[in-house]
Amino acid sequence: MKNLYRVLAITLVLIFVLSACVTPAPAPAVAPTTAPVVVEPTVEKPTAPPAVAVPPTEAPTAAPVKEEVCLIVGATFGGPIMDSGYNQAMDEAVMAISKKYPCVRIIKAENVYDEAGATTTIESMISEGAKMIFATAYAHQYPALELSKKYPDVIFEHVGGWEMSANFANIFGQPPDVWYMMGVAAGMMTKTNKLGFVAAFPLAWTNVFVNAYTLGAQSVNPKVQVIVAYTFGWGDSAKEAETTNSLINQEADVITMHVDSPQTVVSTAESRGAYSIGYQNLAAQQFAPKYWITGSGFTLGDKFTWLASTVMDKTWKPIFLRCGLADGCMAIAPYGPEVPQEVKDKVAEVQAGLEAGTIVTFAGPIVDQDGNEKIKKGEVLTDDAMSTVDWFVKGVVGNPK
Amino acid sequence: MSLLSILGILSSAIFSGTSLLYATLGEIVTERSGIVNLGLEGVLLISAATGYGVTVTTGNPFVGVLAAMLVGGLVNLIFGFLVVSRRANQLATGLTVLFFGYGLSALIGKPFIGKMIHSLPRYLLPGLDFLPLRYTSLFKFDLLIYLVLPVTIFIWWLLFRTRWGLGVRAVGENPETAYASGRNPGAIKYQALFVGGLLAGLGAAHLSLAFTMNWAEYMTGGRGFIAIAMVIFSKWHPIRAIAGVLVFSGAVAFQLLLQVMGVNISPFLLDMTPFVLTLVVLLAWGGTRKHSAPATLGRVYQGTE
Repeated sequence: MKNLYRVLAITLVLIFVLSACVTPAPAPAVAPTTAPVVVEPTVEKPTAPPAVAVPPTEAPTAAPVKEEVCLIVGATFGGPIMDSGYNQAMDEAVMAISKKYPCVRIIKAENVYDEAGATTTIESMISEGAKMIFATAYAHQYPALELSKKYPDVIFEHVGGWEMSANFANIFGQPPDVWYMMGVAAGMMTKTNKLGFVAAFPLAWTNVFVNAYTLGAQSVNPKVQVIVAYTFGWGDSAKEAETTNSLINQEADVITMHVDSPQTVVSTAESRGAYSIGYQNLAAQQFAPKYWITGSGFTLGDKFTWLASTVMDKTWKPIFLRCGLADGCMAIAPYGPEVPQEVKDKVAEVQAGLEAGTIVTFAGPIVDQDGNEKIKKGEVLTDDAMSTVDWFVKGVVGNPK
Repeated sequence: MSLLSILGILSSAIFSGTSLLYATLGEIVTERSGIVNLGLEGVLLISAATGYGVTVTTGNPFVGVLAAMLVGGLVNLIFGFLVVSRRANQLATGLTVLFFGYGLSALIGKPFIGKMIHSLPRYLLPGLDFLPLRYTSLFKFDLLIYLVLPVTIFIWWLLFRTRWGLGVRAVGENPETAYASGRNPGAIKYQALFVGGLLAGLGAAHLSLAFTMNWAEYMTGGRGFIAIAMVIFSKWHPIRAIAGVLVFSGAVAFQLLLQVMGVNISPFLLDMTPFVLTLVVLLAWGGTRKHSAPATLGRVYQGTE
């Protein structure tokens, strides 16, 4: 009896230790961090990947195409791919490649949070034969860039960054223009003239989004204020709920966010009777059946597929790719039931203007919160300059650094 | 500063403090029996993930609450097996439970990320229905919030007014004497751990099923550790824990209010204030001579053979 307890105790400790390890052990708790999930489109492939292999339950059983593997694509994600947010949008984009080209094999790794994890994950993907890497998280840019020097025959595409090299390129949507349109909708819907913005960190890109959103709102409602508050975490749900409440208590009646998953913010706004505007992924609408205005998301599938096809026919070139609504890289969610037709018409008009170039989101003169002129009349904020924005435009309440 | 924002701090403190108070109560009960569970964060995560998963599957948040409670109790019993029956070091075991919780909760919660739930229904405080929606939504509380004060008083009564509570406290102070007077210290420690786990499960359920209406990995964000600090703050007393929890959650809400009012202080600094405040209070509290911690807290009870 005593021995039995001893064995039980040792087993328990082993389970604890194994689950704590980063190495993807076959223990019950392999879920976190860096185990690449292998999606096998070709059923007959006998060469299973080495120790890093994973539950085959993850693989869609569809696509029983018996073809040679024409390209192995590795994709790293900064969070779980089913988050109704950014990572889900990126996953849908990567999976679009294998939908178009069933011979492409995709290796995925979710929850790669940090740079060290990204380096080892991408290296193990390359050792499995990946010739193209999609690094979709902000933190994966420099690990991928380093590896691009080490593996010159592998093509690297990073999402949302700015670095470029011979075999490393960057792709992203054009969120600022879309944020401008969201601002137009919010500026028309608000009754208190206060819009709330839940942000994760004071980052340059977040500041750009806030600024574009504010300029859009001011274009239809000069009295509007945008209040920004930070959660200091990309996925701290409780903090997101508190921040949302705090913005609503400050009389903001339209809430939007730049965090990984819009779920908590949108649900909390709904429960308080405040309008919400989503971001990252169009799926957020389900959490706000009544007070949803609209939202925007990334739909990069076609561009990812095109990039993969250029790798396959060896015509790939490093392009700094920025593509917007007109190119199909971003999309607008359907409107909620409370949105009147005039708002929809106005947003459509602004969209047409942005596409035609008659409206430019960051056209000068633009002044910051303290009244300093940041962009002169006749000038425009360039894409390069956006990654160093550490100021808010006039009309924003909050601290940008 | 408007009336809405001041009432908002109160409401925020209640909403976010509820899960913290349940977790603190749970840790008070286990620590009173002489066991410190540093893995509370892990227990919370496992309970939150399970509660969310069960709610998604069954569509009933109350079943989710029950599941979260049971799982909390169960994980604490596993912890108890290691530290009571196997006499392992409590601090080291607690940390392994923490990492176990990270891994297991991620595994349990993975299929349910991004799934929608029916959150716990909220009921307006009686007599406030004449107010506009923005105000009434501040005081629409779910059942777990309404229950948190009665539960706190019940735990106080349990610990200080019942024979069982006397046994728990006796075991925490001096297990040998408790044994000599006919108590079974091992069994009592298990019971205290189970009750503590049920309470932690309630806290986790409130976090994922009522407050955030979401499951996200590591969503507790260190609240398990704050609860352990709250136990010390409260001097192992359930009623004083209410004050500690209100101060901490109030500070979180207050720093957010400063942010949204556009106060010209770095938001990084503001975000730190609740933790600095907790630290300051702990330091000020630590100066008192009278030891209020259970005498054998963290010590391995070697048995009386």
